[in-house]
Amino acid sequence: MNRSVDVAIVGAGPAGICAAIETARRGARVLVIDENHTPGGQLFKQIHKFFGSARHRAGVRGIEIGRELVDSAVKAGAEFLTDSAALGVFPGPRLAVNVGNEEAIAVSAKRILLATGATENAVSFPGWTLPGVMGAGAAQTMLNVNRVLPGNRILMIGSGNVGLVVSYQLLQGGAAVLAVIEAAPRVGGYAVHANKIARAGVEILTSHVVTEARGVDRVTSAQVAKVDDRWTPIKGTEREFEVDAICIATGLNAMTELARMAGCRIVHLRELGGYTPWHDRRMCTSLPEIYVAGDAAGVEEASSAMEKGRIAGISILEDLGFIAPCDAQTERDDLWKSLEALRQGPFGNTVRRGYDRLFGDESRCSSCTSAHRGEDFMVGSAPRKAPGYPSDTRLAKGPVAVIECTQEIPCNPCESACARHAITVGDPITSLPRLDEDKCNGCGRCIAYCSGLAIITIDAAYSDTEALMGFPYEFLPCPNKGDEVSLVDRLGKPIARGRVMRVTKPMDGTRVVYAVAPKELIHDIRGIKWQAGGESQ
Amino acid sequence: MRVPDHPILGSAPAAEKVVIEVDGRKIEAIRGEPIAAALMANGILVNRYTAKRREPRGVFCGIGRCTDCMMIVNGIPNTRTCITAVEEGMVIQTQRGKGDVR
Repeated sequence: MNRSVDVAIVGAGPAGICAAIETARRGARVLVIDENHTPGGQLFKQIHKFFGSARHRAGVRGIEIGRELVDSAVKAGAEFLTDSAALGVFPGPRLAVNVGNEEAIAVSAKRILLATGATENAVSFPGWTLPGVMGAGAAQTMLNVNRVLPGNRILMIGSGNVGLVVSYQLLQGGAAVLAVIEAAPRVGGYAVHANKIARAGVEILTSHVVTEARGVDRVTSAQVAKVDDRWTPIKGTEREFEVDAICIATGLNAMTELARMAGCRIVHLRELGGYTPWHDRRMCTSLPEIYVAGDAAGVEEASSAMEKGRIAGISILEDLGFIAPCDAQTERDDLWKSLEALRQGPFGNTVRRGYDRLFGDESRCSSCTSAHRGEDFMVGSAPRKAPGYPSDTRLAKGPVAVIECTQEIPCNPCESACARHAITVGDPITSLPRLDEDKCNGCGRCIAYCSGLAIITIDAAYSDTEALMGFPYEFLPCPNKGDEVSLVDRLGKPIARGRVMRVTKPMDGTRVVYAVAPKELIHDIRGIKWQAGGESQ
Repeated sequence: MRVPDHPILGSAPAAEKVVIEVDGRKIEAIRGEPIAAALMANGILVNRYTAKRREPRGVFCGIGRCTDCMMIVNGIPNTRTCITAVEEGMVIQTQRGKGDVR
C-alpha cells in the first residue's frame, strides 16, 4: 500500500533515528525505512564505551545508546518500516520501497533524508577473496550481534580505531588476535585502544602488509612482510602466520547510491571517505527536498552521526514550517558547536579539513596541517610526564590513580566520574586529563568510567616490598580473590606473578581486579593475564 | 563457534533451536539468526563458487552489500545469507555460478 508522509528517512542508524526523534517529537509524520530486521544500524555491534562528553553519551556502550535511541524515536511517534529496502528515489520526491521482500510500495514525502551510512573499504592482495577473509565490521557483526566467533586465530589489517576496537572485541569473544598489520609507519587509531590490545599481548606491526593469503576453500595462512617508505614489500622480511580468519579494517566510504539516483551533486572528499553527496551546513543536498546525514554525509563515527542527524531533522522541520527559522538557527548553532567539539584535536584534523573544503572554508585548512598526535606515541611507552601520572612522592604515600592518557582525543567521562573532583579535563574536551594528586584517594571509581581503559590505581604503601594495583578487566573468565595471576607490562609480556586480593562487581561490564605486585615494578606492570584453573598463559 | 558467555553481553539469551538442511546435511541453527551466522557456527565458510573461475566465496561484508555470501535458499538463488533469517526446515544449497532464475 502506498504511503504519504512528511519525512521519509532511509536508514535507521544513529543519524536516521536522531533525525526521526527531532522531527517526530514536534509533530511531523515520520517514516524510517531500513532493510535490516531491527532498527539501530551498526550501534548494536558497538559494545565498547563511546568517547566524547556526557552530551555525546560518552562512557556508554553503543549497544545501550542504540536501545535508548530506538525507544525515544518510538515514543516520539516515529514509525519504523524494517526488513524493507529503499530501491530508488524518484521525482516528487518519492521512494520505491521493497517491503519484506513481498510488496513494492511508493512512499511520497515532503522531505527525504538519506542516512544510509557507509560501507567498508577493501584491500586486495592475492587470496583476499578466500572465505575467512572479511571486513572487520562483518567479524564484529558475527561476534557481537550473532554471537558467532568468525575465527580462532585472526589477523587484523589496519590499525585505525575500527581495527583496534574490533581486535579487542575479538579477544573478548575468546579468539586469538595474532597481530595487527599496519602499512603506515605508525598506529592510526587512538593510543588508548592500541594499548588495550598491546597489554593483551597483540603485536602491532607497523610498516607491514599482508602480501598473500593462502588456502584452498578457506584461508589457512597469511604471509606478512615489512614495507619500505614507498610501501613496497622488502624481500627477506616475510613472516608466515597460521590463521583461520583475516579481518580488513581499512576505512569506510559513504553509501551514495540513492543520492546519485536522485540526481544530487556528488563531490569527492578524500578526507571524508571519498565520494559524498554535496551538502550545506543545514545538511541539505543540491536538491532542496533531499537531505543527508550521518556517515552518508562524510565518514566519521556514531557520535557525530547522531549530531548530523539532529541538524538535518531541525532543518527539515524549518522547511516544513514546524519551527521558526530563527529557532532552527539557534538549535543548529548549538548542534554545530557539539559537532565541532568532537572534531577537535589532532585526530579530527582530517575530518575538519574535509568539511572546510566542502563548505568552501579552505582558508581555515592551514590551521590544521600539523598532525601532532601527542608526544610521539609508541605502543608500550611509559607516559611518566603525562598530567595524569602522579609523582613518586605521591605514589609513595598510598592509593592513587594513574592516568595513561597522552593524546588530545575528545573524551571526558573521567572528569565527572571522580566524586572528589581530582580529575580535570575542562574545555576543550580534547585536553589531557590532569590529576590533582592531593585530592585523589585512589578509590578507583574512574577506572571503569574511562572509555579507553587507560586508568589504573597503585597503592605503593601496601607493604615494604609490595604494592596493590587495580586494573580494569573485561575478559572471561575473571580471576577470583586468592588466584595467582601473571602481571604483564604494556606489551603484554609477563614480568611478575601476583595474587588477586579483590575483584569488584562489574560496572557496566568492567571489573576492577586488585592484585599484589612487586613494588619495584609499579611503573611497568599494566595488566593481568589469567586462565581458569590457576594456570597463567 | 558460538559464544555462550561474553564479558560484556553476558550469557546468550534463550534461543529457539531449529534444524536446517545445507547441501543435504542437517545442521542446528537458531531461528531468526542470519543463515550465514548459522553456517559459520557450524564451520561452513563457503557460500558459493564464482561463475567464471569457480573460486570459493564466503561472508565478506556481513551487511548485505557485497553479495559474496549468496546461496540458493528454498530454491531461490542469489539470496544474501548474511541478512536472511533462519527459519525451521530451510533448504540451503551452495551456489555455483549465477543461479537459475525462472
